[in-house]
Amino acid sequence: MNHKNPGINRGHGRDISTTDPLGTNSEIGRKLKQYYDELVTPEIPDRFDNLLKELEKYEQPQTVTEE
Amino acid sequence: MTETQSFRDGLLAAVPTLRAFAVSLSKNADRADDLVQETLVKAWDKQASFQPGTNLKAWLFTILRNEFYSQMRKRRREVEDSDGAITARLSVHPAQDGSSDLNDFRKALELLPEDQREAIILIGASGFSYEEAAEICGCAVGTIKSRVSRARNRLQDILGISGEGDFGPDGVTAQITNTIVA
Repeated sequence: MNHKNPGINRGHGRDISTTDPLGTNSEIGRKLKQYYDELVTPEIPDRFDNLLKELEKYEQPQTVTEE
Repeated sequence: MTETQSFRDGLLAAVPTLRAFAVSLSKNADRADDLVQETLVKAWDKQASFQPGTNLKAWLFTILRNEFYSQMRKRRREVEDSDGAITARLSVHPAQDGSSDLNDFRKALELLPEDQREAIILIGASGFSYEEAAEICGCAVGTIKSRVSRARNRLQDILGISGEGDFGPDGVTAQITNTIVA
């Protein structure tokens, strides 16, 4: 028993409460979050806003032809 | 109409995290945004099959992931030979911030097989539970656990991180085994 109880979630009430080998104590876990957080940019490009506005124009969701 | 409105807002709000997941999967920013676009269109079409109140994010991730793999299969057939070259050329390295540490990590992550990469991203970065990740990937919870574990070990090997005492491979394996049995 040389490892701590992985079930103990060190705060934050995250989903990964059991067997958390990627918790904040893990270097891989930290880097992973750092990497991902950098990818999550809060700005939403206009193309998506426009796309949804376009889709919303159709009362009935409908199939959009593929490229 | 209000339901449509809130569905639409939900989709829009999910865009940043969908983009992040798409980049992680496809390793390519342009392709990632195409994936997100296709996901939104598909989600819109399937709106009737979404139960309000359930996990919209997980539902969208499932759609995006399916779309990614179906595009990848198509792409493999189309550009079998040049695929590697294209990927390398378009490979995205956003926000080069001089953190070579993080760049190393990114490269290491890209070396993982897709199934392991997506598993470790879903669990370690996107904040999904093992159960949700299993649902998204259409596989057993134990499969996700072993993929995460293999991904983590592989990343440690590549990056030369050793002796994270708390959870060596044996510890992880033991936990997984215990959980599956339990």
